[in-house]
Formats: sequence, structure tokens, C-alpha cells
Amino acid sequence: MKTRKLETKDWIWIGLIGFLAALPLVPGLIGNSFRAHVLILVLLYASMAQSWNIVSGYAGQVSFGHSVFFGIGAYGAGMAVVTYGLTPWPGLIAGAVLAALVSLLISYPCFKLKGHYFAIATFAIVEIFNRLFMVWDWVGGALGLDYPILPDGWKNFVWSETKVGFYYGALGLFILIFGVVRWIETHRLGYYLRAVREGQETAESLGVNSAAVKLSAMAFSAFLAALCGGFFVQYNYRVDPPMVMSLDMSMKFVLITILGGVGNFWGPLLGAAILVPLQEYSRAYLTSLGSGVDLIIFGIIIMLMMIRQPKGIMGILQDLGFKTGQRKPGREEN
Amino acid sequence: MSTLAQVLLDGLLAGMLYALVAAGLSLIWGVMDVINFAHGEFLMVAMYLSYWIGFLAHVDPLFSWVASGVFVFLLGVLTYRFLVSRCIGKAAMAPLLATFGLSMFLKNLCLNRFSPNFRILQSTLLEGKKILLGNIVIGMPQLVTGIFSLLLLFALYFLMKKTRLGWAIQATAMDREAAELMGINTDRIYLLVFGLGGACVGIAGGLLTSYLAVHPEVGSLFGLIAFLIVALGGFGSIPGALAAAVIIGLVEALAGFYIAPVFKYVAVFAIYLAVILVRPKGLFGW
Amino acid sequence: MQKRKFLSIVSLLVFALLLSAGSALAAENVLKIGVLFPLTGPCATAGQRCVAAVETAAEVINNKHPELDVPLAKQEGILKGMKIQLVVADTQGKPDVAKSEAERLVNQEGVYAIIGSYNSSASKPASAVTERAKKLFMCGCSSSAALTERDFKYFFRLAPTDKTESKEFVEYIQWLNKNQKAGIKTIGLIYENTEFGKHAADEGKAAAKAAGFEVVADVAFNPGATNLNSEVQTLKAKNPDAVFGACLGGDYTLWVRTMKQMNWLPKVALNYCTGYQDPKIAQQLATDGNFFMGGTGYSPEIGAKYMKKVAAVEKIYSKKVGVPFDSDSIQEAVALFILAQAIEKAKTLDVDKVAEVIRTTTFDSPLSLGGKVAFGPGGQNMKATSIITQLHDGKYVPVYPPSYAETKATVPMTPWDKR
Repeated sequence: MKTRKLETKDWIWIGLIGFLAALPLVPGLIGNSFRAHVLILVLLYASMAQSWNIVSGYAGQVSFGHSVFFGIGAYGAGMAVVTYGLTPWPGLIAGAVLAALVSLLISYPCFKLKGHYFAIATFAIVEIFNRLFMVWDWVGGALGLDYPILPDGWKNFVWSETKVGFYYGALGLFILIFGVVRWIETHRLGYYLRAVREGQETAESLGVNSAAVKLSAMAFSAFLAALCGGFFVQYNYRVDPPMVMSLDMSMKFVLITILGGVGNFWGPLLGAAILVPLQEYSRAYLTSLGSGVDLIIFGIIIMLMMIRQPKGIMGILQDLGFKTGQRKPGREEN
Repeated sequence: MSTLAQVLLDGLLAGMLYALVAAGLSLIWGVMDVINFAHGEFLMVAMYLSYWIGFLAHVDPLFSWVASGVFVFLLGVLTYRFLVSRCIGKAAMAPLLATFGLSMFLKNLCLNRFSPNFRILQSTLLEGKKILLGNIVIGMPQLVTGIFSLLLLFALYFLMKKTRLGWAIQATAMDREAAELMGINTDRIYLLVFGLGGACVGIAGGLLTSYLAVHPEVGSLFGLIAFLIVALGGFGSIPGALAAAVIIGLVEALAGFYIAPVFKYVAVFAIYLAVILVRPKGLFGW
Repeated sequence: MQKRKFLSIVSLLVFALLLSAGSALAAENVLKIGVLFPLTGPCATAGQRCVAAVETAAEVINNKHPELDVPLAKQEGILKGMKIQLVVADTQGKPDVAKSEAERLVNQEGVYAIIGSYNSSASKPASAVTERAKKLFMCGCSSSAALTERDFKYFFRLAPTDKTESKEFVEYIQWLNKNQKAGIKTIGLIYENTEFGKHAADEGKAAAKAAGFEVVADVAFNPGATNLNSEVQTLKAKNPDAVFGACLGGDYTLWVRTMKQMNWLPKVALNYCTGYQDPKIAQQLATDGNFFMGGTGYSPEIGAKYMKKVAAVEKIYSKKVGVPFDSDSIQEAVALFILAQAIEKAKTLDVDKVAEVIRTTTFDSPLSLGGKVAFGPGGQNMKATSIITQLHDGKYVPVYPPSYAETKATVPMTPWDKR
């Protein structure tokens, strides 16, 4: 395999990873703090959004169904631990593979739907899975699965004394998912994906098998989303359908990516870096203002963003003159 | 036998209610290809207004629906003017996400101001009354909303097909640029349509307070079902929305009784998928 | 140019980092207690009432209230003047939020113990956090029996569980059959398909079957449903003699009104906590709510007769929320009282010693039905009882056990057309 030349983007990436990996070495910064919790969630949500980013941006096909894959991953790990008394790792892999298979099963028929028909079909799929899981006793049904108290460590992937383990786990997930997306971007699949995104018929006329391309992208996307789900259940010691397989969770996948900048490598990270601290800190410290203030603010931000700059934060940066690698008419590729 | 008849009747009336709720959404979508994600919250706002009017001024929902309709008309107009018009055509799902933001805003604003308490009007004109046909019970609130639904849908249909305004709306829906060239102020049309769509769901909300409790989450499921209905009915088709609504009401009732109540909505969502995969543009969509 | 991009990305992350406020330096002689309840979301009303109850208890403990005849009222604070400072946090009704808020309370805010969390699905992960951190978790009213079947050392729950409630319901039906010739043979269940409803229903089914009753209807419904037609029709078709219900707020009113519309009632309707016990809902239903029954740990009428010391404390609570105590919120007040009493008795803040005191003492608790609290294995309050009440025109009238009963229950429930 030819090694390609490292671009500036890659150097920024490497620098960022180094910075994040070194953070726990600063005394008192990570530990068991709320700060660490927020960072972990930023990394997790950025990963989730990035996994969705792979399949976003197809003409008229916005999927609100990713919480299904997220949930399957969560249940995979959860059942391994709670129902079968194993470590979560085999369940995690099984869940991710299953999620990929389910994604293929669902997507193939749905790809012929367009626009709002497709979007609403994805709502319907999430709701069906949610309600079925609520009555399916084998996965715990409405009661969900609760973790017993397990010894800390990588084997069980739980920690209570400190958050450093979870932090590195989230960082690892982040590196994996962003890495996979970067790999897709710079290899053949990425070119095909972009071709299909920009014009499916044109791409097909050039010999691209758009169905195969979209399905492989979907499988990757589902697999990675499921891994995120597995992390989520380990972090929260519990899983039940409303926690993971809900429209609310699906909207998180969508919103963070779009607010950050859809179709762009950095978009998910920016979206998560702004929204997660906003969500967590406003809930933790603004309760005196009454119920739902954080969500009121959230709603206002979404509305403003869609009015002003639907390309998200990356769009704002673009307007401010940064070179973002986003295609602009008449500009050279970064 | 009478059980089946009761189930079918309940399903039919529920479907009529859903049609009333979904009519406005179908109109908006059919004309400007925008799904108002805040549709369920419009319903909730209408219900709150009707509740407060009923609770404070003792006006029955049977009359206060007018106020609800007008209020949500204005809400729709404002939503279009300040939100939707500024992101239509800009990016794929911008209006959808913008209205999602609006739905979060409205829901949590009501939560903050009105608390999550369930509130129900104690003695309304319709509540508790029923007509008995042998063994079959027809609830008065459901019957009245059913009648309203038919009247409203008929009025909408008449508006669209037989009036100049309706023709202007249809022209705008079919080809915005051509309509502009014909001298139609399409922005004004869009504004009006969004308002009308809001008014329809406002009327639905106003009537619902006759028998349903209002709380910040009350619109969620109704909104979701409305999305299903308009997509099932098909883009641009109000009769389609009615047909889809009735189908969904019946599926909900039949599945709820003959399979199990907990599968009610699974069946509804499944029916949507089943139909849409066979007819990707809904039943009557163009 | 690229440096700017790198710097802006990093600065966004650093910005996020720096947003964290460190915990304020603890004021002298203050004991921080975490109060973790759903302040937003569908259970927010109940959650807010629970918080108000804990605040009420804290006020009584912290200040001299010679006019109140409850433990710790006559003194100021505990352990010679140490005042309780409450740190309130919101679970939003979600287990993952509950878990991270519990962690924040323990690690950032440095609370000594947590009182919470109303929803059993939230109490589970939140108490897993405190157990791992070796801090006390006082759970007032989460009803899932599973919470005290976990062998936790630092977890204590005040209210009766849905297991004990179910047994009491069944016992009552047997008593009705014997003493009022009720003729109840079949049971039906209607419950919201959530952690709370499903667990209550499972316990109800188990208790009914163990006592030899036939379970003929098992109706789970989706909370927030647009109508409950199929649900009530199924009940009507199966026609159980007695129905156990687990429906919250709005679903409860919809259920009652749909039954009225379909002109059906069981002979007896017994409800697990909430929709039935909410005084506001009882008020809104007016006469439609009559003759339904449920387990009640407290109501003003019960208080007036058997818990006379509550009324004065209730005045403080009512000023905050505008309603009297209810079965759920009062348990949260008890939770704080017991914790404070245990610390006072142990004369130390050492968690293991306090936990030991809690486990081995029988506490005086005027806010508890029966006046006493004593914990058994797993942390369950073995003295937790509830009275079965029946609604008569907005009043919860005790009907069972006989020692508390004020009247014979109206069994079978008066049919709709005869009201």
C-alpha cells in the first residue's frame, strides 16, 4: 500500500491527539472531576457525530436512525456483562457487527426513498426498535440491564476511583473513528462517496456502483456508532431502551454534526466541543432558573444557526476567512 | 361482533382526529416542501391556550377553539417570517432542523412557565357525554372532533380547488419561479400557508382540551403521528392525508385490541414502512 | 493560516475545560447533602415536591423549632450546631444524567450523602456511584424492590416496595372476599410500559398468582399515548374482577375517563403510586375519581388521625409547593431526618459508623406511618407500611388494614350511570 504524503490536516490531527493524550498528566485536571466527565462526553459525542457524518450529506437522505445502531452496540456490551457474566469486549464486537448487518438490512430498501419520506422512515425505524426492545424480555425489556459492582480495570472496562481509564477509552474510540473517517476520505471509498453525494446519477454514469458505495458507508457508520453505544453503557452502568434507542439520541447524532459542519472532518469535533459543555454546565449550574433552561438555550442556538449559517461552525469559520478544506466555488482544494 | 364494530369505530374517530392534526402539516409540506418539526408543539401551545381560557374565563373549548386557531395562525406566520423563510432552500434539512430547534424551545418554555403538571378542564360541555347505538359507544368529544375534521378538510380542499387564492397556492406549489413570473407574491403565499397550517392544528388543539390533559409533552406523539400521516398520504395531497390518517387510526385500534395494546404504535410505524417501501411517494403523492 | 485553525480548535477545547467552576470552599461547620431528583422532564412535579420536602426537613433540623414535636426540631443543627446545606441537582428523569450528577455531587461538590432519586431507573445508577464511593444514599420513595436486593452497604430506602404493596393488595382482596363477600376471583393489570410500571406489574402478577388468583388481563400501554381505547377495551373484554393499576398523571386521568366512556369498571381498582395519589389529579377528576383505591403512605386525612405531628411540619412544606405532603414526598423528608438522627446518635461523621447505626437502630419517625423506621437486609425499611385508601370526593379515606380503616370500602365500585 502506497503511503500517502501527510497533509497539514494530518499534522493538526497528530498534534491534537498528543495534546489530549497528555492532559491526564496534568495533576488535578482529570482525576474524578466534572471536567473529566465533560471531556469524555465531548470525545464520545464527537465520535458518534463523526460516525454519522460518513453517511450524511447524500442528496435528500438525512438519517435519524443512528440511535438504533448505538443501542445495539450498547445492548451487546450490556448483555455480555449482565446477562452472560462476561467481560464487555466480546459483546461489544458482536454488537457492532450486528449493527452493521442490521444497517444493511434496513438501508437497502430505504435507499429508494427520498427527502422527507426517507427521514420519516428513519423515525419509524427508531420507534419500532425502541418499542420492541421495551417488551423483549431477553434484553431486559422496560426494566433494562443494571451492572453489578465490578472491579475497576480494562478487563471490565469500568472505573469508579478515577475517570482516567474512561478518558483514555473515549480517546481511543475518538482516534479510531476519526482515523477511519480520515482513511475513507483519502482512499477510493471516499472518492466514490463524494461522487455519489455530489450527484448520484452522474456518478453512476461514470461506473460507480452507488448502491454498493452507500451500503458500505452505512455499514462502517453503523459499526462505529455501535462501538460508541458500547462505551455509553459501560460509562453509565445501565442500559434501557429510552436511554439509547430514542429519537432524542438520534437527534444528538444529527445536531452535533450539522451544528459543527456536516461533511467536514472537523465538524463533529467542533459541534461536540461547543454543545456538550453547554448542555452539561447549564444543567449543572442553571437549575435555579427553573426547568428546561438549558434546552431553551439549545433550541435558540439551533434556530439561530440554521438561519445564519446552516453549514455550522465550519461555515462560520469559513466566513471568517479560515481555510477549512470545504469546497468553495472557484477556490483551490486545500 | 359488536366488539369489532366498536374497535373499528374507535379507530375511525381516532383517525379523524389525527387527520385534523395532520391537515395543516400536509398543507405546509405540499406547498413549500417543509416539514414543520414543531407541529406537535403547535398543538401543545394551542391546548394550553384553550386550557387557560377555559380555566380562567370559563369558556368551553367548544368555543375557544377559535382563539386557539387564531393564535397558532399568528404563531405560524411568525415562524415563517423569522425562521423558515430565512433557511428555506439553503441546505438540505435546514428548515427541518430549524423547526426542531423551535420545538425544543416551545416545549421547554412551556415546561418552565407552566410546570410539567398535567392540567385538565373539569367540566366541559363535551366530556363524558356519549351516544349509544345498541352496544356501541360513541364518545361525544371524539364525534365532534371527527365532524370538525371533515369540515376543515373539506374547507381546505374547497379552498385549494375552487378559489383564486387556492389556485395561486397550487401554482406556487408546483413551480415557484413560474408563479412569481405570473405576478404571484410567493413569499406572501408561503406566509399565508404556514399560518393556515398553524391555524388547522390550532383548532385541533383547542378542541382537544375538552377531554385530554395538557402538559408540555402532549404534542410529541401527535406530532410524530402527523409526520407519518402526511408522508403516508403523499406529498401535496390533502385527501391522501385523510386516507392515511384513517388507515393509521384503524391500524392502531385493530392492532391494539387484537394483538396487544402495547404494540399499537409499533403496528402504526410498521404499516408506514410497509406502504412506503411499496409506494415510495406515499399513497397519493406526486 | 493553518496554525490559526489548530489554535482555534484547541482553544475551543480549552474553553470547555476552563468553564468548570471549582467547588466553593466549604463554609465552616456545614454538612453538604446532595439532593438528586428530576427537576425537568415528565416527573418534574414529583421531583420538585421531593426537593421541597427535603428542604422542609433541613429547615426543621437546622433551626430551633420548639413548637414542632419531631426529632431534632428543638435544637439547631446536628453534632453541636453543624448545619445541613443542601446541594440540589437534576436527573432530568434519565439514568445517565442521574449517574453523572451523582458523581458530580460526590466528587465536585463533596457531598456527604445523597438523597434521591424518585425514579427507580435513576436511583439505580446513582446509588451505584455512591456505593462505589462509599457514601450514603438515602432513597425515599423509589419503589422497585430490586433496589434493596443488591447487597449494598450504604443504601437505605424508606418507602414500601412494589413487592410489599402487591402483597398488601392481594391480602386486602382476600380480606374483602371474606368480610364483604366481594367475590373477586380474577385479576387484571394495566400499567405503563416503563421500568416503574413493568416492575410493579411483575410483582403484582407474582403476588396474585401466589395467592391463587387468575390473571386474565395484562395490559401494558405506551405512556403519553394519544388514547387508551384499545387498552380499556381489552380490559372490558376480559372483565377482571379486580384491576391493579400503575399509571402516572395524565395517563391516569385518560384511563379513568376512557373507562367512563366505555361504561366499564372492575369491582375493585387498586393503584400503585402516583396517578391515584396525586392530590391535584384527584381534584381534577372530581367525582370521576371516586371509589378508586390505592396504597397511601400519607394523606392529610390519615395524618390528622394517625400522624398528628405532621401537620405543623406540613405548613412549612405547603408554603413551598401549595399542596399538602403526599406519600412520595413525605418519605424524602423522612430520609433526611433519619440520616440526621443517625449522625446525631453515632456522634461522628464516619460513614461506616453511621451506616452501622442506621442498620441497627429503630428510629422514631413521626412522619412515617406507624411512627417507626428500622432497616433490614439490603437497606429496606422493614417498618414501611401503607394504608389502602379509597377516594371519596377528593378525600383519601382509609379502608384497610382494619386498625386504620374508617369505613367499609365501597365494593364493587359504583357503576358510572349510577353516580
